[in-house]
Amino acid sequence: MKLSKSSIVLIVALGLYLIYMFGQSESSLEIVDFSIDKSKTQTASITSNEDRNPYYGDLHVHTSYSFDAYVFGITATPDDAYRYAKGEGIKHPMGYEMKLREPLDFYAVTDHGIFLGMVNAMADTTTKASQNPLAKPFHNLNRPENLNDASFGQRANLFSSIIGGNIVEQYPYWHPRVIKAWLTKNSALALKVFDYDVHKSAWADIARAAEEHNDPGKFTSFIGYEFTSSTNVEGGNLHRNVIFNSSEAPIRPWSRIDSINPENLWTWMDKLRDKGVDSLAIPHNSNGSNGQMFEMETFRGYPIDNAYSEKRMRNEPLVEITQVKGTSETHPLLSPDDDWADFEIMNKRIGSRPPTYSMPAGGYVRDAYLRGLRLEWTRQGNPYKFGLIGSSDSHTGAGAYDENNYWSKVGLLDGTAMARGSVPLSADRVSMLIEYAEEYRQPLSISEEEQGTYTAPGFFDQWGAAGLAVAWAEENTRDSIFAAFKRKETFATTGTRAAVRFFAGYDMQSIDLNSESLIKEAYAKGVPMGADLMAEGTNSPDFIVWAQRDKNGSPLQRIQIIKGWIDPGNSVPHEIVYDVVCSDGLSVDPVTNRCPDNGARVNINDCSITQGVGSAELKATWSDPDFEPKAKSFYYVRVLENPTCRWSTWDAIKAGLKPRAGLHQTIQERAWTSPIWYVPPKDNLDIIPLAGSVSAKD
Amino acid sequence: MRKRILIFLLVGFLIYLIDIALNPEEDNKDIYISDQELISLISAWKSQVGRDPTDEEIVKIINNLVEEEILYREALLLGLDKEDRIIKRRLAQKITFLKQETLPDNPNQDVLRQFYDEHKEKYFIKPVYSFTHLFFTKETDSLARSIKALNDLLADKKSIDSDPYLLGKNFTEKTLEEIARNFGNSFIIAFDDMELNKWSGPFESSFGHHLVLLKDYRDGFYPSFNEIRDQVLSDYLTLNKENAVNQYINNVKSEYRIIINPNLKF
Repeated sequence: MKLSKSSIVLIVALGLYLIYMFGQSESSLEIVDFSIDKSKTQTASITSNEDRNPYYGDLHVHTSYSFDAYVFGITATPDDAYRYAKGEGIKHPMGYEMKLREPLDFYAVTDHGIFLGMVNAMADTTTKASQNPLAKPFHNLNRPENLNDASFGQRANLFSSIIGGNIVEQYPYWHPRVIKAWLTKNSALALKVFDYDVHKSAWADIARAAEEHNDPGKFTSFIGYEFTSSTNVEGGNLHRNVIFNSSEAPIRPWSRIDSINPENLWTWMDKLRDKGVDSLAIPHNSNGSNGQMFEMETFRGYPIDNAYSEKRMRNEPLVEITQVKGTSETHPLLSPDDDWADFEIMNKRIGSRPPTYSMPAGGYVRDAYLRGLRLEWTRQGNPYKFGLIGSSDSHTGAGAYDENNYWSKVGLLDGTAMARGSVPLSADRVSMLIEYAEEYRQPLSISEEEQGTYTAPGFFDQWGAAGLAVAWAEENTRDSIFAAFKRKETFATTGTRAAVRFFAGYDMQSIDLNSESLIKEAYAKGVPMGADLMAEGTNSPDFIVWAQRDKNGSPLQRIQIIKGWIDPGNSVPHEIVYDVVCSDGLSVDPVTNRCPDNGARVNINDCSITQGVGSAELKATWSDPDFEPKAKSFYYVRVLENPTCRWSTWDAIKAGLKPRAGLHQTIQERAWTSPIWYVPPKDNLDIIPLAGSVSAKD
Repeated sequence: MRKRILIFLLVGFLIYLIDIALNPEEDNKDIYISDQELISLISAWKSQVGRDPTDEEIVKIINNLVEEEILYREALLLGLDKEDRIIKRRLAQKITFLKQETLPDNPNQDVLRQFYDEHKEKYFIKPVYSFTHLFFTKETDSLARSIKALNDLLADKKSIDSDPYLLGKNFTEKTLEEIARNFGNSFIIAFDDMELNKWSGPFESSFGHHLVLLKDYRDGFYPSFNEIRDQVLSDYLTLNKENAVNQYINNVKSEYRIIINPNLKF
């Protein structure tokens, strides 16, 4: 068949066009070395401690490069964030200073991968990106005169419009950018507002800041970002922070626009690891996932299998259990017998508008651990065997870790006590909120209470001061701390600098808790937090716990060990909380497994705490009175401090008012270690859970 | 005869006009790539990647260079460089860089030394301490136990009844701030006038009492100029870049007249 001349010309033209498009590789697997040559003279050598030191840090910080931070009026840069972590003061959008009492050991700026850098570009009317009609609402958003409370309505609405996808308008399918997006596997190119150069240079700046501030031996920074995914139908939160171990990183972050399914994120991370760039992903806010963070099936609804479990564990060895948007350890409905379960519960789906209920089951860590054991029992592998860290999720570049110095998270939207719901609203603010409800078609978010008119409960008031990630590592360097993350030798705190050690083994009774060689022997004879303890016949293991208070915080009240297990014959899950050692020399009641009340109280009028009660440090060797050698189980430590005022009470007192009724007035700061899993010998049961839909063979 | 020539010329002229209209000014479409340019690109590639580029890669480099030049010329033809804020900003940046770079890269030693003297405090290196300690927990009668321990040590007794300290036993080259982080702010007074290799104490921390054995101590010092020369040089250059640019702008500002509407309402 002979083609006419014009069709030949057309085909050749199309071919050249495709070659031109294809020729420029913008693949997300392209790796860039962001390292900086620093010729600073190093005057101190790096000393390594074989017994490991606790290093305190935050792996979840947003700056103005995040689309939502910019909308919230944040102008902090990654450099500002790192300077804050090292102890300098930086400015909050409302004008006051944020400063740490004590510097942190490590920090990672993790801006949202989706639309990274785009909102700054859209707001700056001198850029090309701002000329796009879709960018108009953002123009000059953060000019100095607009950095105030009154811009609240505009900002909240812009935030929702981004999340709701109002600005993800695509080019038509025949447009060159769409074809290019398809050929180079960079879906974001197909969006009208997306400017790839801005995106790449924002990412490069974040990487550069991390490299500049990394100071091996003194301070560690990590290149990272947040993968901000959620489920398609229910909007359940599936956010994860991706942390890179070295100064080499991909040319762009893999975002929700590439694929909303976290499994594809892990595939990308696996490919990068093959190329020599190691990373890990840390899920957070499972409390806002409507039960979908820790499901019993995959994202697309298929059965979990061993390959999935291994892939998930390979890429996600840690979970962020606590942060500003609530704590995800457990929920009072899931753990009715745990008196401390009702702690900073946040029960709304992240980013939903208006804030929509998130159901508990599948959204909390303790439940996830039990689900993992159940999946393992049905031969599907255990994808929920993660260690724990805390972080902030601050969008101001600076985490607010102390209850008495709390500026929450989202800059202008919650930078004042009124906005946070701890003190009554002024008449001005009430009318502003009424206007906002009418203009943006939202439920009126005020509540008339006895003490006055407050913002409606159930949002900012549920948030709380941030947490910290702590790693047991030999030295303060990237390699050493990252290795601690991977072996899960980490613990989470609610912002306190308490320190906790946890070991399990079969010969721990022989270790003298008062000897200088306690730690060396514990490592030699047992396993640390985050590890597996293999069965030794029917021998019952012993556990060593040791905690020290935060010298600037509240004394310790008790150490608990929380055990979860499933029945060997039918996988029914159970959990129990044991008090293991009490403060002030008090003894645990062997029947109730509880410490007596040590009398620690808080004076609500001035937030002073009872003096002379509580301990500076606690340690004990403990064995499980109800040990079952055949049951798959996990044990993790929870350390509780004496109670102190919650931030909402501090706010009220500073304003000379009574705390708001209906909110917790005090909290007990706490720490949770990564669990130690007890692995019983293999059972030889034939298991068929679901009429053959899951393979019963190993 | 003349009429025909005129018509001929007219038609020719018309054709000429039509040709101009249909085929706009064809600029010289020749792109010259100099050897210098190629060599500089290849050596940039080499220093980035660490080896010589293969033939294939050199072809790619040239292709990229050519494409960029083509696109640049096409853009100029379309007048895209006029009224473009980003281009204006970039050119402003460029001249700023040029003005920064008019400084000699190698200021002489005396200038640097003077700069160093003026900014001495910035380079001060804090004193560091290396020590080990014996800890006695607050949960027991720590003060009494620590005093007894000190006496035992002085009497050369080998076994001392102390407690393990969660934050560690041996501390190497720590500044006073770092020590405060591990023991509490009040603890650092222990290090005033401490003697080397002699158990001293008891000192109180947030967690109990301690006896401290100072093993090594390095005084705070101002590093010698030679040790820190690189750092001083880079700081000096940075500061002077800023000054050079400011000076240039001030000089040149006076030559311009600004015209603006004083009554603008917005």
